[in-house]
Amino acid sequence: MFEARLTKGELIKKVIEALKDLVTEANFDISATGIQLQAMDSSHVSLCALQMKAEGFDHFRCDRSMPLGINLSSMSKVLKCCNKDDIVTLKAEDDGDSINFMFESKDQDKISDFELKLMDIDSEHFGIPDTDYKATVTMSASEFTRICNDLSILGETVAISVGKDGVRFSVSGEMGTGNMTVRDNTSSDTKEADRVEIDMEEPVNLNFALRYLKSFAKAAPLTDRVSLCLSRDVPLLVKYEIPEFGSLSYYLAPKIDDES
Amino acid sequence: MSDIRSFFGGKGAAAKKAESPEAKPEAKPADARAPTDGAAARKRPRRVVDDDDDGDARGAPAPPPPPSCAPAAADADAAAPVAPASPAALAPTPPRPSAPADVAAPAPSGGPAADGDGAPADGGASDGAEHTPSPLLTKLRQAEGKAKSKGVLENMRLILDTARAFSVERSASGWKAGAPVPYAFLCAAFDRCAQTTKRLEITTIMTDTLRAILETTPADLLPTLYLSLNALGPAFAGIELGLGDALLLKAVAETCGRQEKQLKAELDAEGDLGSLAMAARATQRLMFTPAKLSVRRVFCAFIEIAQLGGKDCQQKKRDKVKALLVAAVDNEAMYLVRSLQGKLRVGLAEQTVLTALAHALALSPPAATGCAPPSLGKLGAEGLHEVLARAETVLKDVYSQLPSYDVIVAEALVHPLAELSTRLHLTAGVPVRPMLAKPTKGIGEVLERFGSGAFTCEYKYDGERAQLHRLPDGTYKIFSRNSEDMTGKYPDVLQRLPRALLDSTSSFIIDCEAVAYDVATAKLLPFQTLSTRAKKNVSTEQVKVQVKIFAFDCLLLNGAPLIKQPLSHRRAALRSAFREVPGEFAFASASDSDNAEEIADFLNDAVAASCEGLMVKTLDVDATYEPSKRSLNWLKVKKDYLEGMGDSLDLVPIGAYHGRGKRTGVYGAYLLACYDEEREEFQSICKIGTGFSEELLAQLAAFFREEGRTLAKPRPYYRFPAKPDLVPDVWLETCTVWEVLAADLSISPQHCAAVGEVDPSRGIALRFPRYIRTRDDKKPEQATSATQVAQMYRDQWGNAKKGKAAVADDDDAQSDDLDDDA
Repeated sequence: MFEARLTKGELIKKVIEALKDLVTEANFDISATGIQLQAMDSSHVSLCALQMKAEGFDHFRCDRSMPLGINLSSMSKVLKCCNKDDIVTLKAEDDGDSINFMFESKDQDKISDFELKLMDIDSEHFGIPDTDYKATVTMSASEFTRICNDLSILGETVAISVGKDGVRFSVSGEMGTGNMTVRDNTSSDTKEADRVEIDMEEPVNLNFALRYLKSFAKAAPLTDRVSLCLSRDVPLLVKYEIPEFGSLSYYLAPKIDDES
Repeated sequence: MSDIRSFFGGKGAAAKKAESPEAKPEAKPADARAPTDGAAARKRPRRVVDDDDDGDARGAPAPPPPPSCAPAAADADAAAPVAPASPAALAPTPPRPSAPADVAAPAPSGGPAADGDGAPADGGASDGAEHTPSPLLTKLRQAEGKAKSKGVLENMRLILDTARAFSVERSASGWKAGAPVPYAFLCAAFDRCAQTTKRLEITTIMTDTLRAILETTPADLLPTLYLSLNALGPAFAGIELGLGDALLLKAVAETCGRQEKQLKAELDAEGDLGSLAMAARATQRLMFTPAKLSVRRVFCAFIEIAQLGGKDCQQKKRDKVKALLVAAVDNEAMYLVRSLQGKLRVGLAEQTVLTALAHALALSPPAATGCAPPSLGKLGAEGLHEVLARAETVLKDVYSQLPSYDVIVAEALVHPLAELSTRLHLTAGVPVRPMLAKPTKGIGEVLERFGSGAFTCEYKYDGERAQLHRLPDGTYKIFSRNSEDMTGKYPDVLQRLPRALLDSTSSFIIDCEAVAYDVATAKLLPFQTLSTRAKKNVSTEQVKVQVKIFAFDCLLLNGAPLIKQPLSHRRAALRSAFREVPGEFAFASASDSDNAEEIADFLNDAVAASCEGLMVKTLDVDATYEPSKRSLNWLKVKKDYLEGMGDSLDLVPIGAYHGRGKRTGVYGAYLLACYDEEREEFQSICKIGTGFSEELLAQLAAFFREEGRTLAKPRPYYRFPAKPDLVPDVWLETCTVWEVLAADLSISPQHCAAVGEVDPSRGIALRFPRYIRTRDDKKPEQATSATQVAQMYRDQWGNAKKGKAAVADDDDAQSDDLDDDA
């Protein structure tokens, strides 16, 4: 028996919105410590890793660890019926073939429940090596979303270079080129949300396909901050920490540099 | 053309002379090329280099080449330019585990004794050339001669040379014996095919590829064949991927991290989504590399894609495509996309693949067949060549009867190739490639070709070729000329067909023409009307265009194949199994006459009955059904050929012949003439007896018998044939003009039209003239002039491009082909 209740039901909704572009179906691995999901997109270029801690829920019970194979677009449709302030409860029997969603309105005057069929999904677990990233940039999640969206107008590939001056995002396309540089502003008294922290051991310059970054950026509503972790010849890590709840991390394989 | 005739048609000695200078200078370049091939194969490293090759050599059921094979080959390459007939160049069979020993000493198994083989084989080849070559060999060489290829020895060398290259390639692509064939292996072969346009080289590349598979993983032979043919199954099964370009574009964009719009723009510029996919794949790294693609997996995925249907099937298909693309490395992505688009574009025609399969099966017989690989040492180059030729003939014959690789490959893997033709023959439910007819210029050509043998003329109906099958279980199938299943197109035909069936008839394959038919007027309608019928899922009630079936051949009856029987026999079988049903089913109208006049009349009747012309077929001699062949035993005479001359001529009757048989009492034929304005004389141009109705003949006879229209002797200004049987019974006064059409004009030793204009002593004659009408508005002197006739003759050859040379060539081609058939 698995049961999880979350007062801020909206969080679940946002998590699924942030995943469904990249992953059509995936196993939610349920255990006593919480819910985990790991999946590559169909092109094997990016990987999403979701972690929802048991403590993050108002009530969490899991008698037996198990995977729940769910089609994310179906789940997203069900979650459309969940209002902003609804309390969400997830339930699944140990050997059941479905998962139950219950949405209760704040004043308990409306209760809806849905059942979604589970599916058998073959999935492998990928061991993601702990990487000592050479550069880490932490910035406003919405600002990052904006950079990705704006630059994708010009081209398909963005070069992210972290140097002394800050992080530079550059794109070149048929129309022309574009650069956006974000500087470390920890010293100034900027608002917490707009603060940019750059922690750099050595300069890094990597190319990435913008379309994946744009998909990652869909996670921005979950939290205020995003960190970008880079190292040469290693996938980029884009991590959204959700305070007291868990995290949503995306890994993206770099493009191969034509010049090098 | 004539070169080849003198080359092969001549005596053995002549053939040798012609051959040796050609073969020798060529020998060197081939050897010079060999090292490059080998080197290229070695230089092309695969991602994973198989590091336990030695283990393979020990444990494999069909031993793959040991790694030492590559150095051995390299040694031989180095020696090659010095000794034209280097032993390694002639190594007969695929390398064996004892490869290093091969070069130095004869292998124990006898067959692949490479060292000993070299010199004797070479000698054998030149000996062979001194004998008169076998007909089969002649045929083969002709085929090669046409492809501007080299001598026999040269070809053998080419075939055997690459055997080495592929073994290197195979070990390089990390393919262990018995394991699924890596898709990369096939893609490498595609790459090599795409780099040449020479059919022979492509055949050799494919032969080697298939041999490699036969020797290691025979189970993958079938998927390899289908991938090479860019097919999912036999044509008649009609399995299609159902993928649009837009879907593929999206899949490529999504797997390669590209934006669809930009990719589309590049596609419009570049034109090949395959190479774009390859380029795009090369620039994006992956999080985790999926398992390598195998031929098997790719083919299975294709089949799954084809079978997907229903809700969201486009999305599901796209996901399958993406899963394949993600795993694709290098050129795999390109060939995947091209295969999915249905345009492989590497120059692999079906016939080439068939030939390659035949050669591969002959050179590397599957273990289960119990056949030993042929040895070049024993057979000599010519002998080996003949083995290959025979294999090709057998396989092509079997394939034309049973065009299903599923069945053929399954059999070929366990039974010797030679037994295939007895094991496999046509089966109701599997379409046979239809036999085709050669076009002719007219009845004269037909008579020339068929000579004394019995033949029949049938109406050539203006409809759609339809092969009707009844399976032993009672189900019916209809296949098109291209072996596509048309069963859904003609439910009405199938519904009515049992009425035409006699009780004794169970299973059959009959060859028919489906013709649009107007039930009300009982007339045949043109093909254009037939083509307005819906093509799929027709229901009997909806049918607006009725169809009548004209059966003309029977290929299988009650389980017994008849195609090796002569037409007379098959026709009798057809008639014994079916009955005509008015308005629904009939046997093709036929006439077995060998009289030119009667045939001409029959042709006119056919045209009058809205047919295209005649099909003329041998009845007894050389009269088997030859699937997929455009055979000389079937000729077609189209009405277009009759009208081919375009303009009609206006001619004057100057003599008449007494009628016989039905035409007794009237004039059966007339002698026509044109008018030479310069010499002011009427020159005979043809004898005409066609195009007249009985009524008209009577009227004409009455007209000419009137006072003053017959002459006791010809006018001095008549020029006419000297040949007694062309001299008319009655001379006529020039008093009327007839419009006449003919098949064409030819130089005649008899007739006198335009004599001296084209040929100094001979005139021009019309072939197969046909009366159209009487020109009341013209006087005899206004008839077509000799100058015009001469001009028409010249124009005719002007249209045929080369003039007389074209005729000569054509004749040569005929006799060549006839030789082939003999």
